[in-house]
Amino acid sequence: MRLKPRSVRIRLTLWYTAALAGLVLCFALGIYTFVRSSLLRQIDDQLERDLATVTRVVRDEPNEINELAQHGSVDFFQVSEGTQVLAETDSWSRFGLEKGVAGSGPGAARSWRAPNDRLYRLRVVAVNSPGHGYLVAVSEAEQTLRQSLASLALILLIGIPLSLALAVLGGYLLAGRALAPIGALAAKAAEITAERLSERLPVEDPLDEFGRLASVFNKTFARLEDSFDRLRRFTADASHELRTPLTAIRSVGEVGLQEKSDAAGYREVIASMLEEADRLNKLVDNLLVLSRADSGAQQMLPEPSDLSALAAEVTDWIQVLAEEKEQHLTVRVSQPVWADIDRTTLRQAVINLVDNAIKYTPDRGNIRVMVRYSPSGEAVIEVTDDGPGISPEHQGRIFDRFYRIDQGRSREMGGTGLGLAITRWAVEINQGRIELESEEGLGCTFRITLPASKARLRVKTSPDL
Amino acid sequence: MTMVNAMHILVIEDEKKVAEALRRGLEAESYRVTVAHTGEEGFFQLNSELFDFVLLDLMLPGRNGIEILGTLRKRGIETPVIILTARDGVEDLVLGLDSGADDYLVKPFAFPELLARIRLILRRGKKDPQLRLSLADLTLDMVTRKVTRGSEQIELTVKEFELLEYLLRNQGRIVSREMLSRDVWQVKDRSTPLDNVIDVHIARLRRKVGGPFDKKLVKTVRGLGFVLKEEG
Repeated sequence: MRLKPRSVRIRLTLWYTAALAGLVLCFALGIYTFVRSSLLRQIDDQLERDLATVTRVVRDEPNEINELAQHGSVDFFQVSEGTQVLAETDSWSRFGLEKGVAGSGPGAARSWRAPNDRLYRLRVVAVNSPGHGYLVAVSEAEQTLRQSLASLALILLIGIPLSLALAVLGGYLLAGRALAPIGALAAKAAEITAERLSERLPVEDPLDEFGRLASVFNKTFARLEDSFDRLRRFTADASHELRTPLTAIRSVGEVGLQEKSDAAGYREVIASMLEEADRLNKLVDNLLVLSRADSGAQQMLPEPSDLSALAAEVTDWIQVLAEEKEQHLTVRVSQPVWADIDRTTLRQAVINLVDNAIKYTPDRGNIRVMVRYSPSGEAVIEVTDDGPGISPEHQGRIFDRFYRIDQGRSREMGGTGLGLAITRWAVEINQGRIELESEEGLGCTFRITLPASKARLRVKTSPDL
Repeated sequence: MTMVNAMHILVIEDEKKVAEALRRGLEAESYRVTVAHTGEEGFFQLNSELFDFVLLDLMLPGRNGIEILGTLRKRGIETPVIILTARDGVEDLVLGLDSGADDYLVKPFAFPELLARIRLILRRGKKDPQLRLSLADLTLDMVTRKVTRGSEQIELTVKEFELLEYLLRNQGRIVSREMLSRDVWQVKDRSTPLDNVIDVHIARLRRKVGGPFDKKLVKTVRGLGFVLKEEG
């Protein structure tokens, strides 16, 4: 037998029933105990009153005791001294209550089963008056109490299982109703496959639990759909990009082979093919970088590095490109800015940004590289140009693989369409983030923000230095 | 150089087109070349003949390159080996170098690059303290850091000087952008976009070195790279 039922509905019902049964049982037990003790207390109070009456007569008017036994208000009592019974009521002897007193001294009230099989409450007290030592016993029938308790127990014994049975049924139905939307969600979610990722789960009330669950599912589906879309687009783009140089190689080769030419002509053909092969090679290298990025296989050697020096090194290398376009490429650094980075990857990111800025900024434009600490203490590298800027429609996708604002132009400039994707990866793998700020016509700013190196900050702020 | 004195190179490469291209390219450089298409064949060749140099493809049918290399080194055969591999995972390369390879090249590689690596390894051990490099009437002095052509002194930036030194040391041979990127700019990552930078420097160097004179020394070989040589 399975100890843990697989159905949540049954489990819920069982829990509900168990909790209710426990509660009801405690409640019933409490009621029974309370009723019983309060009824007993009533009897005991009566006994005390009877005892007081008898005792008063025994003490004050011993001669009146028989009168009390014959015509008094107390139904059951006996007064004895030693072994001699001085007085007792008729009912006392009739029901054989003397046997209950025999052999027991004075004490608290107790229940006793008489020979007639009925229960009586007995109270025996020693009463001393000058020259005498009496034993006074009083009693009350418990029959009514017992009957009341028996009916109460019967009501409880029948009522509890009945109500529990109703609770099981009700609980089962309620749990079923409550869980029905989950079944519906599961059935609907199962229908949403890789081919139908655009479908969404219905959300009836976005604020209740099921609505939230459905919303969470929907968000996950949206992300999945997005990454599937990206993958599909990437695959299509990649094959397109790979096919372009391949097509060139092929057609140049075919035409070259058909045309009769001299050595110089053939050289020209081969050189052209080699150039395309080189382009293909670069594309594959870039794809490999990204594929390593995706698989997380890139070897990182993070060490505290001065970003100002890195920026200076990069601009120094690349300065000649700006000079060719008579652009002003300036580095603005005021102090060393330390961050724990892998120099190789981050350098590539900065080179890509500056290279892009030079490419897309018109002749005689300005490009500024700024390295600083942000007000919140993070390390920041900014590359700003006063080129044409990037319109908002492109800004969101500019870091996507193979995303190009101007297809022909970018390729003409030798771009693979992967530069910014690699840049973003390189920044993110160094625990940083990259943002783009741009207004069309007013140039743009790429900002890399990296956590500042803690080790260096401590040294920097040390009072000894 | 006669064939008797020529360096003998064993190429172990299963891809027939690549192997053939290597053979022809190396023979054009006056090396003597033997080609093996499988690991076993290569191993047999190594055991039966003496080679000056081995080009070893890592992914071979049958016996892989690392195994062959390991066995070779275990037997105390110290023939220089360059590994050719299509995989550029760092682990693979480390494994290759640990097994006793002298250098590695990631496919696809530029042929001039392969030649440069081979020369480098064959020259290893022999000191090359050439402090004056020259070609035709161009002279570069490593000590005074002066460059002259004929009687005229040429002012070069630091980068241009390094570039010219590299070209002079490899004069007559084609130098690829990749080689310059790695050896002059010290950037190993092939996806870093330095090609334009190199082109600009070369253009400036060509203007300065060859500008005022009739003979251009720095030449561009389309699709391959650059070469420093006298017109011919």
